[in-house]
Amino acid sequence: MTSASEPLPTARPRRDPLLGVAIVAVALVYVRALAFTPIEARQGAAQKILYIHATSAFIALYVAFALMAIASILYLWLKDEKLDRVAESAAEVGLAFTTVVLLTGPLWGKTIWGAWWTWDARLTSTLFLWFLIVAYSLLRGAVEERGRRARYSAVLGILAALLVPFIHLSVYLFRTLHPMPILLKPSAPSMPSEMQVTFFSAFLAFLLLFAALLRARYRIATLRDHVASREQEHA
Amino acid sequence: MTPDNGAFATAAYVLAALVYGAYVVSLKLRERRLRERLARLESAPRRASNRPAGA
Repeated sequence: MTSASEPLPTARPRRDPLLGVAIVAVALVYVRALAFTPIEARQGAAQKILYIHATSAFIALYVAFALMAIASILYLWLKDEKLDRVAESAAEVGLAFTTVVLLTGPLWGKTIWGAWWTWDARLTSTLFLWFLIVAYSLLRGAVEERGRRARYSAVLGILAALLVPFIHLSVYLFRTLHPMPILLKPSAPSMPSEMQVTFFSAFLAFLLLFAALLRARYRIATLRDHVASREQEHA
Repeated sequence: MTPDNGAFATAAYVLAALVYGAYVVSLKLRERRLRERLARLESAPRRASNRPAGA
């Protein structure tokens, strides 16, 4: 049932200006990255994959799945359906971002390592997390009773998010082909300023896209629960 | 010498755009379908209860 504090969804479609702004921001980042950012001398143009690969990875791991875990923990404590919807939405949007990470990574790897894929700790654990989030989505589709569905998926969501610190530390703990962080490290970023501007612009644009997609997905979850309640009333 | 691998970068950017674009389309379609279902429910009269009043 939708919470009393939320406005009831209507049958009229709504325009979402945030999504439009996010799409324009991402398009501008594409133009800046591909046409106005210098090519790295040793790696060539393939290095530009960083601007979509690393930003999508950062948002998936440290924003989407962190939000999924926090909302899941709070749901188990407070039993508020809004928190379950936030967790569900963050998981699905995070899955889209992780899919981009797993598709763009091999394209970069092929040019630098000479291999599309290697079963090292960073890549394997990221792929494993992707499968866990797919399982989370399947679980949500398989359990009909709302309370049980929310409880089971909250537990799975928390367990899946436990992989995030492992993925982050995997490049330090294991011998891996995946490079160490060049920006998110205690010392100064090892990247020219023009590339840093592109990277941080990309990060902000994709963060905006994440917020817009999360809002759209949350709206769907609210609408679905409202439709289910109305169908029960009609039955 | 700088390697000539621009095609890989272009492919990565196109793939990312396709994934995000497809996801946006899927969200729009799901929302439209749900709103249509809600509109049908709101226009349909509620089924009268068979139970006697006060039961």
